[in-house]
Amino acid sequence: MWKGILCVILIGAALGAGGCGDNRYYDDRLQMEVQQLDSDLDNRWSTTGVVIISVKGGPASAAKLEPGELISYVIGERKVDSRGSYNQAVKQAMKGDNNFILKLTDGRTIRIAVRRKGDQAGLEVDGNRVSKVTPGSPADTGNIKVGDIIESVIDERNIKKIKDYKKATREFAKHDSKVTFRTTELVGIKIATINALGNLGDVRAIDLLRGILESEGSTLRQPAAEALERLVALSQLNDLFQKFQNANANELPADRLDAQKRESAEILGLLTVDLEKNLATLNDPFGTQFRHRSEALYEKITDGSMVALAPKYIQREVEPDQEIRRDCISILGHLKPTSAIPNLIAVMEDNAEIPGIRFQAGLALSQIGAPAVDFLIAAFNRGEASVKDIAASALGSIGGNKSRNVLIQALDTIADPTIKLTVADAIAKIGDPTSIQALRLQKQRLPADSGLGTFLSELLKQLETQSM
Amino acid sequence: MKKYTNLCIVAIGVAAFLMGCGTQNESLSKGKELIKSDKRRKEERAAQQFKLAIQQEADNAEAHYLLGYYDSETFYEDGDPQKEKASIEERGKHMFLAYQNDKRKYREILVFETLRDRSPEVQNTALDALKRIYKQDDRKKLLNSLKKAIKSNDNRDRHDAQWVLAALGREDADTIIPILLDLLDYKREETRLNAVKALGKIGSEKAVPNLVQIVNSGSAKRKRDREVAEIRRLAVEALGNIGGAAVQELVAIVQNKGSSMRVDAIQALEKLGDERAVNPLLEVLSDQGSREVVVQF
Repeated sequence: MWKGILCVILIGAALGAGGCGDNRYYDDRLQMEVQQLDSDLDNRWSTTGVVIISVKGGPASAAKLEPGELISYVIGERKVDSRGSYNQAVKQAMKGDNNFILKLTDGRTIRIAVRRKGDQAGLEVDGNRVSKVTPGSPADTGNIKVGDIIESVIDERNIKKIKDYKKATREFAKHDSKVTFRTTELVGIKIATINALGNLGDVRAIDLLRGILESEGSTLRQPAAEALERLVALSQLNDLFQKFQNANANELPADRLDAQKRESAEILGLLTVDLEKNLATLNDPFGTQFRHRSEALYEKITDGSMVALAPKYIQREVEPDQEIRRDCISILGHLKPTSAIPNLIAVMEDNAEIPGIRFQAGLALSQIGAPAVDFLIAAFNRGEASVKDIAASALGSIGGNKSRNVLIQALDTIADPTIKLTVADAIAKIGDPTSIQALRLQKQRLPADSGLGTFLSELLKQLETQSM
Repeated sequence: MKKYTNLCIVAIGVAAFLMGCGTQNESLSKGKELIKSDKRRKEERAAQQFKLAIQQEADNAEAHYLLGYYDSETFYEDGDPQKEKASIEERGKHMFLAYQNDKRKYREILVFETLRDRSPEVQNTALDALKRIYKQDDRKKLLNSLKKAIKSNDNRDRHDAQWVLAALGREDADTIIPILLDLLDYKREETRLNAVKALGKIGSEKAVPNLVQIVNSGSAKRKRDREVAEIRRLAVEALGNIGGAAVQELVAIVQNKGSSMRVDAIQALEKLGDERAVNPLLEVLSDQGSREVVVQF
């Protein structure tokens, strides 16, 4: 007697322990293994489900299910051919979530939801034909009419634990030859991945990211554009990394490197600079590995395809996402293609565009430099106040005689005080003796207490300090 | 007989008191008075008094400790030889000398009081002194104090001990890592958290298997076997700091589709910048989006 009880206890304990440690389940019927989500991921951001760990073959493989997919719902369908089968199917489907879906022979699918457990759907059937609909009931609200023919009852089960998965597949298998899985994409993981690829600076990521940017309607397009922008920025440091590569060293005297690029590399976490010791050291492993990969990235980025792609997505009519437009303008600023000048001028002149983006287009044009000057002058001459403002600023940044002469002439002829300020500021940015002389002359012509006069005095003071 | 005994006790007490008064160093007293006062440049002037006290009494523990505590390079002009003597290392030496003259007292003071100081300079001085104790003296007792501190119910003690253990571990991983690994099972959550942080800062690959185990415990069926999410997240971060052999483990976390730590692992790989992360990350992007799949039984 005691031996028997002991045996039962032992078997029970063994089963309990076995069950406890088990967060995976091999589904013999479908020939795949699923795993429960980590407890703290479960229900975070409304994420629930079991993850497919492996697909061995059989039904799961035939349906092209893939490892990594998160099954959040298991959906079963039960044919209705009698009052009994209807009642049983509805009772089963209402368990847990108080709702079910009716599939009618006319092709409609209607979700019926009741408030509380035990509430009625308000529907009676004769065979599979609707024989009565209670006015005001969920069935009535769902527009089900007497005479409608019910084909089946659809039961959607939200999957939270392994046991939910087991129960749902087992029950559905009894009444139908198929089951539907609804999977959820973990977008957060993909966004984090895209961000990481943008920072890792590897050439292999470019085609994939470009593919995402060119896809339609994906929530991943914006992070992809941002990652591409960072890869383009990183590729512009190639000169610096080639110096390390040519010396086959991870350390170089800091003064042998371009100060601006050195600073960018430091901000990106590739390099540590000790100015006291005049030493620039590549960070391990990021910098030490990247020096070998830098050239491949540079070549891919500058092979022309980025230059061909970016202008499309800077247009407001094509790209509704302003962050993508910003990223693509920034890409053009880095790559400086003269072919993109008309597109950038168009953005700069687009009154309906966000002012910040129009200024960014002006900045990209100033990065392109001398080849953009004629276009900017034309835009300055024909444009209204806001265009003049941006173009003047860009011309000031580019500098050169042509820009300077246009700006000096504008200072005399333009009446609008706001644009006059920008023009004066742009001339001061050029800062050569002719520019300074022009600013002085302008100041002399103005009454001492005028706003522009005070501004010019400030500018001239700054220029004098710089030249000292 | 009892009368004599009482008399003896009183006599010894008086003698001890007088001896105590006699040994009180005058400069030391002046320095301490200055610190209590609200006089101008009181720390600077007190430091001079502590220096005098040490000249009078080379083995005065308190004078050494206070000089280490209050002296500062900011008191001296460039080129003043006293400036060099006020470096963190020199101040650490004074705190170490204080310890050598009264080991038990100053070990406890350094671990439980000096490290708590608001000034990073004082904290670094204490760390320097503790490193000297570890290298030159009774490391076992020091480690016991640090273990007591990291197990303490006071957050500051736990944090300070973690900081010191990480610093010692960077120089002697073989001794410190096993201590920290033991602490990963300690009942107090915050102690485990600090042990994980220290392991990350040390950056030794020896800690990798234990850290991986912590990260993966999130899928344990029984609640008691699961580490809390914050510690698991820190364990991922620690793996990122370690790099090297930890990269493949971080990749495995990314590939474990049921793990809640995937985003953290991706970010750790991103920060590390190791190229071995690239292919697994590209694979993540090719994962299926949301869809409905019909499976025939």
